[in-house]
Amino acid sequence: MISRRSVRNILKGLVAAALCCATPYVSPQELIANRDAGVESLTRNEARLYFTMRLKNWPNGTLVKVFVLPDNNPLHIRFSNEVLGLYPYQLRRVWDRQIFSGTGQAPTTVSSEQEMLERVAKTPGAIGYADGPIDHSNIRLLEVR
Amino acid sequence: MRTRLSIAVMLAWMTPSAAPALEFVEGKLQVHGFASQAVVKSTDNYYFGNSPETSFDFTEIGLNASYQKTPNLLFSGQLLVRRAGEMYDGTPSLDYGLVDFSPLSDAEKRLGVRLGRIKNPFGLYNETRDVPFTRPSIFLPQAIYYDKIRNALLSFDGIMFYGDRYLEQGNLSLNLGVGQSVIDNNVEWTYLGDDLDGDLRAEGINWGIGSLWFSTPSDSLKLGLSAILTEMDFNAGPESPLSSGTIDVFDWVASFQYNAADWTISAEYSRAPTRWNDFGPYWPFKDQVVEGYYLQGAYRLRPNLEIMSRYEEGFANRKDRDGRDFSDLTGGTTPRFDFFSKILTLGLRWDINPNIMFRLEFQRHDGTYALSIRENPDPGDLVREWDVFAASVSVRF
Repeated sequence: MISRRSVRNILKGLVAAALCCATPYVSPQELIANRDAGVESLTRNEARLYFTMRLKNWPNGTLVKVFVLPDNNPLHIRFSNEVLGLYPYQLRRVWDRQIFSGTGQAPTTVSSEQEMLERVAKTPGAIGYADGPIDHSNIRLLEVR
Repeated sequence: MRTRLSIAVMLAWMTPSAAPALEFVEGKLQVHGFASQAVVKSTDNYYFGNSPETSFDFTEIGLNASYQKTPNLLFSGQLLVRRAGEMYDGTPSLDYGLVDFSPLSDAEKRLGVRLGRIKNPFGLYNETRDVPFTRPSIFLPQAIYYDKIRNALLSFDGIMFYGDRYLEQGNLSLNLGVGQSVIDNNVEWTYLGDDLDGDLRAEGINWGIGSLWFSTPSDSLKLGLSAILTEMDFNAGPESPLSSGTIDVFDWVASFQYNAADWTISAEYSRAPTRWNDFGPYWPFKDQVVEGYYLQGAYRLRPNLEIMSRYEEGFANRKDRDGRDFSDLTGGTTPRFDFFSKILTLGLRWDINPNIMFRLEFQRHDGTYALSIRENPDPGDLVREWDVFAASVSVRF
């Protein structure tokens, strides 16, 4: 027997598939880092460790600076769901536990995608995300393996 | 009282929709804070103030700073102002203040040590129990996180070693700490039933804590086991009816949490064998095993709108769940229902934006074990079945 929920999910899937095929190009959200970070790719687990601020240094020893958009920003929600595989409320819970128990810090919240690009470009060791391909000499797109 | 609530509402109004944290020194120094005001109304019994008459005496304000000097060296501290009925009068206290050194840290593991005043990583909620945004409801599940005895669990002064192991299958995390507990008058009220002549204190190293956590890589499943071992010393004054003695407590909790996109299920089970030594003939209790558990579900109707429900039971002694034996030990002066609490909670959480949160809550209580004796000193005034209505507004940056 098919429940109402599964019918809804099938419909959602169909709509998504239709949209995907109808759109010539869907810009994916990208993991970005300052060129000084000295990395070209991360595993999903590494990306999670950096964004939950449990891993604070790049392989070359530089301090990691994490930038995020507000919890309710659509790009933030997509990035955390699809790239990190975490729901935004889970990220918030980890950060809150750290800042309010003194065992760690929270990322810097920026107010716009434009500000995100500027801050990542000029902060050594910075990591963040962007919507679609970007072209900036100080920013490197990181592949998520 | 009214003014305090209107200040909170004004604060909420004035906070911009995405107030950034304060940051200095290239973001290495961060300052965060929160403020919260609740209003509590109960049908009977004093719960966070004079709740039968409507209490505004539940206020929480915190301000913290952290400095990440290098990737493996962190300094942090938090000041807390907490007003909670007769239990806490709002005197500022150092919530935590520590230095954290993690010499080994990479994508596979982390090893480190913390030194100073450290929050106890006990169960799902203890570390940030006074931060409304991190709690599942206005009131924590009392069956495990008794507010009447909050300080006995809150933090300790000492050293803690921690290790994390990040694996494909999930993450393991171990904490081990020793030091001295931070005891206050509420602890004495709870363990000795009165504010007696003399004082209850920690002598030497009296605190050990260990906790082990496992979580799947996406944090969907979280399992934990935490335990505390402690001894408190009571030094009787000349007027005290009790002799000098010690209290030994071994408190452990098993924790479970499952996180899905729209819902979260949490459950914890705790037991605390407790023994009183040498308190003399006027102290009726020798040993008991405190027990508590709850099952809690939260459902997010929208990302910023959550409903929750919880059922919990707590017992002063698991071998005397209806309180019959303990009530007899007091000669019947303390009713049986003062040795258990069964609580049903329904709650609503609305995050207007990431920095402002409103909550509404209803609780139906059977039993009065969760109540502070300090707030309800006369057992004759206790009412077995009582309800609580509460609302709160909280802001953060």
